[in-house]
Amino acid sequence: MLFDINTAIGHWPFRRVPHESPSELRAMLGAKGITGAAVAHTHGLFYLNCHDANLELAEAISGHADFFVGVATLNPTYAAWERDLPVCREKLGLRALRLAPQYHGYRLGCPESIAIAQAAEALGMPVLLPHRVVDVRGRHWFDTEETIGFDQIAAFCEAVPEATVIVTEACFYRDALLGEDGSVRHRNLYLELSRARNGMCDLPAEIAAERMLFGTGAPLKSISPALLKLELAEVDDPGRQQIAWQNAHRLLGIAPGRP
Amino acid sequence: MLAKQPVWQTAKRIDAHFHVSDADPGAGFSRSSGKLDREEAERSLRQAGKLGIEFLCTSFPLTSESPTPEEVRRANDVTLEAMAVSERFLGFCYLNPGYTRESLAEIERCIVDGDMVGIKLYHQYRICDPALTPVMERAAELRVPVLMHAGKGRDTETQTQQPRLSDASHFVRAAAIFPDTMLIHAHIGGGGDWEWALRHLEQRPPNLYVDSSGSVVDAGIVNKTVAAIGLEHVLFATDMSMEEGVGKVLDADLTEEQRERIFAGNMKDILARRRV
Repeated sequence: MLFDINTAIGHWPFRRVPHESPSELRAMLGAKGITGAAVAHTHGLFYLNCHDANLELAEAISGHADFFVGVATLNPTYAAWERDLPVCREKLGLRALRLAPQYHGYRLGCPESIAIAQAAEALGMPVLLPHRVVDVRGRHWFDTEETIGFDQIAAFCEAVPEATVIVTEACFYRDALLGEDGSVRHRNLYLELSRARNGMCDLPAEIAAERMLFGTGAPLKSISPALLKLELAEVDDPGRQQIAWQNAHRLLGIAPGRP
Repeated sequence: MLAKQPVWQTAKRIDAHFHVSDADPGAGFSRSSGKLDREEAERSLRQAGKLGIEFLCTSFPLTSESPTPEEVRRANDVTLEAMAVSERFLGFCYLNPGYTRESLAEIERCIVDGDMVGIKLYHQYRICDPALTPVMERAAELRVPVLMHAGKGRDTETQTQQPRLSDASHFVRAAAIFPDTMLIHAHIGGGGDWEWALRHLEQRPPNLYVDSSGSVVDAGIVNKTVAAIGLEHVLFATDMSMEEGVGKVLDADLTEEQRERIFAGNMKDILARRRV
């Protein structure tokens, strides 16, 4: 099995991107051997009232419950998130919460972001944080130039130790997961591997197996680079299975036997 | 007696843009001790081998504002040491073309005498700057390619830190100024507005090539590059982002024959022109 923690549907406004619908995305992922995926709605980054994108997402993936797991996107500084979040989990069936402070105009670690992370934890939803969505060096004039830095993420993990935090598009690995003395930092922090380098050789194999999750960034990004990173990860076969799907299934509460 | 065939003759994958590291971990790419980080170089070879990359066109460019000739020589010593470690490292001679006489001497030391196969330029001058003329003319005489750092950064950091960064419009201009020199626009996926670059490169100057490297793996980047500049002018490369480099070519909608051209065929054609 192979579970992709980092995909999206919906129109990306700054570049022509194929495979934006659930059917197209599923077909593309499936053709590469991916058996399930966490999916957010791109519109959630851009709508003022981003809960509308959660409604769109739930409707769009309703025929793909055997493949997609929905990821809500909410802005904790916007109105009514306290009511929207339980709706996302309990009525729409979305299993994780994406926060995108760089798109929603707040700073990670603000009281509202802490509050929503605590609420997500109470609902059993991990928090997905995109370090970035696309490379800011090629950004459109209307797109954000901001990325979520490791310092902000580390402080956030400490502020909400009970929450599960998964950083997608991360470019920091060893420093994020291990202290200078090699001890484990932030026991609630997990990283998606699509920007990992050198077979993750700077991480002890057991740490990589525990804390890394397979993800591609599709359809914005090519899929095979992430597949190669998984293949070349310097871990044993059980560790590779953890990264490939087991960690994601456990964190998202996906029932055994589901793809 | 038959002439000795180049070692890369039968290669299936040649990385057109790669770097080794300095033995001094604090050096980064801003200075050089003149010594190779051998452990890192050997790890790179192993990683490349796992991805089917047989040869790596390798250089050690300096990112400082204007490296001295001595600093440039030390940087090239790192590359020469890598070439001594393994013939899989095909050296590219880094130059600061502001030092004309010393640059020409370094070409003699590294390419004519030292068996390097190309020239690497960074952002000390734009590629269409007249200061490059002696280096470009010598490259044309030796029929070796000039690989130059490139990009169209739309972010504040790139714009402030690399004010003389060459973009695709500079390369198109340079291709006309130096029509006998093979120019390689580095890393179309190096982090910048690659679509803007391709709109310029679709003018297809015959002596201009693009390498596919960089960490950016935006869907469709390789196909669009091929559509813009033509299959014969796209070179597989990683710029040390190895899985990205291989993966985006594998994901491109190409025939196996077309993929082979990008993975190695085009670079072999360039390397075969060398006259030293």
